[in-house]
Parts: sequence; structure tokens; C-alpha cells
Amino acid sequence: MAQNEDDVSAVSRRDFFKTVGVSGLATGVLAATEQQAQAAPGTLGPGPVPVRLTINGRPYNLHIEPRVTLLDAVRDHALLTGNKRVCDRGTCGACTMIVDGRTVYACSTLAIETQGKKIRTVEGLANGGTLHPVQEAFCDKDAMMCGFCTPGFVMATVALIEKFPHPTPAQIRHELNGNVCRCGTFNRVLEAAAQAGGVNHG
Amino acid sequence: MAEETMQQPPAANPNEPSANAKKYAWTVPPAKTAILSHRVERVDGPAKVSGAARYTYDINRPGMLWARAIRSPHPHAKIVEIDFSAAKQAPGVRGVLAWKDPGAEVMYQGDVVAAVAADSEDHARDAARLVKITYETLPFSVREASSKDPATPKIFATGNTRPGQATDVGDVAAAFKSAAHVYEATYDTQVITHVCLETHGAVCEWTGDKLTAWVTTQGVHGVRQQLAAALKIPEANVRVICEYMGGGFGSKIAADASVVIPARLALVTGAPVKMMFDRKEEHLDTGNRPSAFSKVRAGVSADGKCVAFEAETWGTGGAGQGAQFPLPYIYQFANRKRAHLDVYINAGNQRPMRAPGHPQGCFATEVLMDELADLVKMDPLEFRLKNLPPTAPDAMWGEYFKIGAKKFGWDKRRATGEGGKGHLRTGMGVSACQWGGGGRAGNAHVDILPDGSVVVKVGTQDIGTGARTVVGIVAADTLGVPLSTVKAQIGDTDLPFAGASGGSTTTAGISPAIRIAAGRAKEALLARLAPSLGGDASKLEIVNGRVQVKGGGKSLTWKAACKLLGQEPISIDNAWEPGLSSVNTSGVQFAEVTVDTETGIVKVDRVLAIQDCGLVIDTLTAESQVYGGVISSINFALFEDRLLDRRTGQMVNPNMEHYLLASIADVPKVEVMLMNMPERGVIGIGEPPTVPTASAIANAVRNATGATLRSLPLHPHRVLAALEAHKAGRKA
Ligand code: FES
Ligand code: FES
Repeated sequence: MAQNEDDVSAVSRRDFFKTVGVSGLATGVLAATEQQAQAAPGTLGPGPVPVRLTINGRPYNLHIEPRVTLLDAVRDHALLTGNKRVCDRGTCGACTMIVDGRTVYACSTLAIETQGKKIRTVEGLANGGTLHPVQEAFCDKDAMMCGFCTPGFVMATVALIEKFPHPTPAQIRHELNGNVCRCGTFNRVLEAAAQAGGVNHG
Repeated sequence: MAEETMQQPPAANPNEPSANAKKYAWTVPPAKTAILSHRVERVDGPAKVSGAARYTYDINRPGMLWARAIRSPHPHAKIVEIDFSAAKQAPGVRGVLAWKDPGAEVMYQGDVVAAVAADSEDHARDAARLVKITYETLPFSVREASSKDPATPKIFATGNTRPGQATDVGDVAAAFKSAAHVYEATYDTQVITHVCLETHGAVCEWTGDKLTAWVTTQGVHGVRQQLAAALKIPEANVRVICEYMGGGFGSKIAADASVVIPARLALVTGAPVKMMFDRKEEHLDTGNRPSAFSKVRAGVSADGKCVAFEAETWGTGGAGQGAQFPLPYIYQFANRKRAHLDVYINAGNQRPMRAPGHPQGCFATEVLMDELADLVKMDPLEFRLKNLPPTAPDAMWGEYFKIGAKKFGWDKRRATGEGGKGHLRTGMGVSACQWGGGGRAGNAHVDILPDGSVVVKVGTQDIGTGARTVVGIVAADTLGVPLSTVKAQIGDTDLPFAGASGGSTTTAGISPAIRIAAGRAKEALLARLAPSLGGDASKLEIVNGRVQVKGGGKSLTWKAACKLLGQEPISIDNAWEPGLSSVNTSGVQFAEVTVDTETGIVKVDRVLAIQDCGLVIDTLTAESQVYGGVISSINFALFEDRLLDRRTGQMVNPNMEHYLLASIADVPKVEVMLMNMPERGVIGIGEPPTVPTASAIANAVRNATGATLRSLPLHPHRVLAALEAHKAGRKA
């Protein structure tokens, strides 16, 4: 009998692993927000409040509701639209930014909780007209098609190289595993990450 | 796509090369070309990696509002009342819109009913929740089986099913009688959604009676036409812009609600309006690949010739759309018969998805081929070679199978089910694909300006395939200038018409027009320069941007040469002409997998993809298309599945955590062999490589374990069930 006709709706092992993976990734974000919450003054909002962010070394004084995510603050208020919104719930990595040296899913981080932290977006990587070596590698290897996942992948790869300057294949696969590409650039992202790390994995 | 070819009347003899095509025939690459067919980095790579590329999602206009749709939560219902009163009072709300009127029916969860516009996205969402819609729920079906069941009440006005085209070739009954073996099985593939990373949407802004729409689309010109029609305004008053877009895969051809709603709300509010669907809306209401069920009977002769084929097929394209697919696929059955039924369910409608129909037909046929090969005790590759159409430039499977077998190490493949002793079993599978491609809808404008700038304007769009780079390469290579000299302008209806980017038609549609326009521009330039360079234009050439007399003598830098144009630039237009492009491609793929027989997890270890697409314009980006096709087919094989709850009619995984997609850790080693066929002209490569991987994987699982997987996706529970059945000697 054709199986799709009468689908087994039980959660497969694969679903289960994926779910665990997602919550595992979210933990880092939660830990950071907890610290902030303790330091925050009484109740804020729901109306707009002043929020001061340091993005790519520049101060931004924003007037936003406390519920606004870091991603929306950066894209819609600071008008830096390089990082993308794709799932808006911490499962695809398109919004990946580096906050105080750690990658975060900016869609699942509140802007107000990143005050006083160093926020890096994809716009902050190039030095004037010179691309960051990771960006260069993505261009050399054609590690992009439509390019919508690319800023997130580039940020995750920058964080990878900062953590493991000469990554092993396993380190690359592990560190970039939180990003999704629908066009299917993965093989070339692997090559680009290897090039950026000055390693040759054949 | 059909829409596209309709807009361009076919030439008298579509295959007869035009005079221009002969005159500006492709230089046979890559040895003799400067960049054509070489590995060229995409020209917009730096913009994409730096965040400078502006997608529709990134457009922010002064005073811009955000729109949000209100959608049916029911799979089938009648709208009784729409009450906007609370929503209108909500903070920041500037406009509301009824998309459907009371009395109308919603046919699936996610069907649009209304929309609101507010000064922020959050306010728009808040207000959307306050729109009160009263429904009278109606009977529904979200299963093909129940819609097909005559006992199910009529849900759709035209009936719950619609018979598709039937085929009947040869004498099927006699052929079955003569067959040494007759085999029966049922195959099926699931519905998957496009999951474009940039969701559908648009930013619309009116200036007087003129509308500018930034739309994430695969066809700016088509969207202009449809948008103008929907708004009942002249096409001349609409400009559609799409500089960059984040994936479409067939779902972004038409001007749907994601475009018309913001246009209408912008009109009523007098402000620019942006609407971008969220992930759930994207899953529910922006298209999908239909399901495909095939109940097949096949007959083979004792010496392994396919003689008879009979199939009953059905599938769903949603609430009123078809689900056609080719069957049998590629392999020849002299006598064949098929009846097809389109089945409607209360779920979002299908839209073309990367190689529409082919992955489905390929799966049923290729898995069947492996089962038949075992029946006649032949190697599956030998069996395929025996049943292929005759080899031709557009039918190269036999050659590719042989090349691939050698490269992949097919001789190390073990017999079915002998994939090892422990719980990890390995196996190999093969599969083939075909696609039409080609395209005729392209116009190009080439300017050579007195300061040395070259501007090439083509109203196509880049859906990720590298169209901007293709425009640049063809123009630069034809003119003899470096790629950096050419500024390629695309993605705007103010540019010359080009068709929608669907069906792998873009490169073949635009390249001939650019080739001829650039060739004519070069000729015009040399004629103007001749008096300064010895008087004979035919003795001049342009090499790497230098204009020189052939065989030595006077020469000029590109800049100095163009300066001689004075006030009047070279400006040339040309349309597509026959003779520089073609249709029909072939490819084959090999896959090796490891199956964990304890967990049911399938891991793809390596894939070899051999693919032709006529003349390769850019080897680097063409290879990317193949990599992408393979990954997308792995998703189809192992992960993706749109799950609908039969009791509530709801999609249970309208997100990206339970709607599974491969991540980088799932990716096998992929080897791509592009077969360049410059003599055939340009064809296109977007779809074919995504067709065969899934079937090759299913066959590899069968080879590894002996268990046949006739149902996609190969989720662990299915693999385990098939292994159980195999062990018990049952057919899964
Ligand atoms: S948009 Fe943030 S993880 Fe997907
Ligand atoms: S390049 Fe399109 S989603 Fe990754």
C-alpha cells in the first residue's frame, strides 16, 4: 500500500534529533538574555523606549518597542539590511550576527538586551572596498546562488574562523550546521570555509 | 514556461538559424574564448557577500507602511462576516482591505480573506489579530484517498477529481501476454513546498497614477502585465523592479496576492506599502510540488527488453489544480497505457516547482527499473542501456552511464541486498533525467559610450542562476573587452522585454539577443574607428579591450578608441533569433548511501552528476546549478514533507524546524561533470539536475539492504518498515 495515503504521524527519529539540535542552539541566546534581564530596570514598554546599540563599532540611538528583535532593529530601524529574515524563529541562520564574539540568531534575540554589547553584522566585515577573506572565499568558490542565505553563512564562517583559524572538516560542518540554504550551495560553502581557513580538504 | 513563449510569436522555422545567428555564431569554447565557458566568478558576488545587494525584503521607503494578510484558519468554510471595526481602532492602523467578500468560500487553510496596513510590522500584526471574521465551516478533505472516494461528498464545485489525459500506445494486452515477467507495484512521492528563503512579497508605491512595485519575482515583465490587469490600469503606468531575489524555484512567476494587496493598500492609504509573507504563509499559500501516485504493471521479455507498461496515476495539486507528471520516464516501453486523475484536496495550490513533474515520474520509473532488472537478473545499468531511446545529441544517457560507471566505480557495486554484514550497509544507485529548456523570449540593448563604458540592458532577472553574470560574459566576450568593462542592467521593466525565468529558459532566451546585439555593436564601433586606424574595418579586431589592426600595426586602448565616438555612442537593440540556442538536455546521476539498519537513517555518501546543457556560458555558475539541483533532490528524497492533519485540515509543520531540510552536515561529496556541447548553442540547466538524485538514492538504499522504498521521503520510520517487510519476505 502506498504509504503517503495513510501517513504515520509519529515523530521520526530524524525530527527528534533536529528538534534537539534547535533547542541546543537556542541555549546560548537564552543565557545571554538572562544576564541582561537581571541588569535591566523595572518594566518597559509596551510603547517605544530609547535603545542604544553599538553596531559595527558605531552607536545607534533608536526609539523602539521593547519587543523589537535585534534583527528588526538592525534591518528596519538602523536600516542595515544585509542580514536576512527567513524563519524568524531561530532555525535557519540567515539572521546570524556576532554579539560579543558569539554568533546569535538575531531574530530570536531582543534588541533591548544587546545594549552595551558589540554587535557585528555582515556590513561590518569589509574594510572599505576590501572584502573580508571569508567574503573573498565565498566569491572565489561561488558559495552563493540567490544569495539570501549568504550573509548568514558568511557571518557563521567568520565566527568559525575566529574560533578555529584552521578548521577541520568536522569543525566546519559543526559550526555551519545552523544555517539553511535552499538553493543548495553547501558544497561550495564547505570549499569557501576551507579556503578562508587556509586548509585543503580535497 | 508556457506564458513566456506565448508572448513571443514563434519564428517561421524555429530551427533554421537566422542570418545574424550565422554571422555571430559562437566561437567554439573554451580554448578560443577569453571568458566564455571559463570559470567566471559571479559579477554580483561582492554585493551578495557584503549585504549590499538589495532584495525586495530590504526595500525601505520613506513613510512606508507594512501590510499583513488575514487568512482562513479553516480548510473549507464560507465567510459569513468580516468585521474590521476593532482593527481600525488599533494603534498605527492606516488601511484595511477585504480580499474576499462575505458569501465567498475559502478552500484551504491560509486562503487570504483580508489585509490591513499599519505604520509598523508589529502594529500590522496586532491589528490583523483584531479583524473578526465569522465562518461557517464546511466539509473538507486533505487526503488524496478520501477525495478519490466516491462516498466523499462533493467539496469542489467541479467535483473532487478530474481525469487527466490518457495515453494508449501499441497493443498493451498482447505485449503483457508475450512478456516473460509481469510485475506490479505502487510508487508515490509527497507534496513539498518551495521554501524560498526570501518569502513572497512586494513594496508598492504610487506617484500620482503611476505605480512602482519592488517585487521578489521570477518575471518582472509578466508581473507588470498581471498587476496592471488586476488593478485595471495601463501597463505603461506600472514599473516592476527586482534587482535581487531570494529564490523562487517556480513559485514566483505570477502577480499573486503578495503583490496585489500592497498595491491596493498603497492606493487607499496614499503611502508606500510593504508586505512580506511570514514563513507559515509561505508554506501554506505560495505553491508546492504536487503528490504523485503510480500504480504500475510492467512486462519484460526474457532478454531484458521492456515491452509493456500500464499505469493508473493520480496526485493532488491542491484545491483545484492539476498534478500531471511524465510516466514512464525516458525508458522505452513499446506498448503502454496510462490513465491519470487529478485529485483535489483542501490545501494550498501547486505552482511549478523546479522541473515540474519530472522528479515524480523519474522516481516511479527508476525504482521500477531496478526492480525489473533484478527480475531478469541483469545489472541495473545494463538493463537501462538496453531500454534507452537511441543515442542522439539530446539523448546522451547511454554514453553518460558508461562514463559515470567508470568514474564512480560501478564495478564495485554488490548485488541487491548484499550491502554488508553489520548494521551499516552501503549501496549504489543510478538514475537519469531529461529536460527541454531552451527559450526564445529575450531582447537586449547594448550601449558603447564615449567614455568607454559598456551598458547592456536586458529585462530579465537573476533568480540565483547568475543571469547578471551571463549578460556580462556574453557581451564582454563578444566585444573583446574585460568583464569589468560591462555594466549589466537587469531586473526592471524599464529594460527591454525578457521572459519569465522558469523552465530553464533564461540563458537560452537572452544569450542569443545579447550575442547578436554586442556583435553588431562591435561592428558599428569598428566602422566608426576605421578612418583612424588605417581605413579598413574588416582588418580591425578587439582583444582584451585593445582595438588593433590584425597581425600588428596601429592600436588603441579601449578608452582612447571609444573617445573617438565623440558625442554619439553606439546603441544597438536586438531580439532573440534562432540558431544560437537549442532545446533538450540529458543527464545521469550516481549515488552511494549508507543505511543504518538499526535507526533507519539514510546517509548519502557521494553523488556523481553528469549533465549537459548545450553551450556552457559560465562553468563556475553552471556547476553551482548542478550542485544545487542535487541538494534539492536530496531534500526531496530524505527530508521534506508537507504534513496535513486529516482531522483538522491543518498543516502541522509550517515552519523550518519540523519541515525538514538538509543542512551542511547532511551534504555528501558531490562531483559534477558538465558536458559542454558548444555546437548545440545555449539551452539551460536550472531544472534537470534536480530530477534524478532522489531516485538514485532510493535505488542505492535498495541495493544496500534489499528493501525497496517505493514511497518518499525516506524518513527513518519508512526505512525501518521496509526493512521489516523485506525480512519477513513481504512487499512493503
Ligand atoms: S531568521 Fe533567524 S534563524 Fe531564521
Ligand atoms: S543561495 Fe539561495 S538560499 Fe542559499
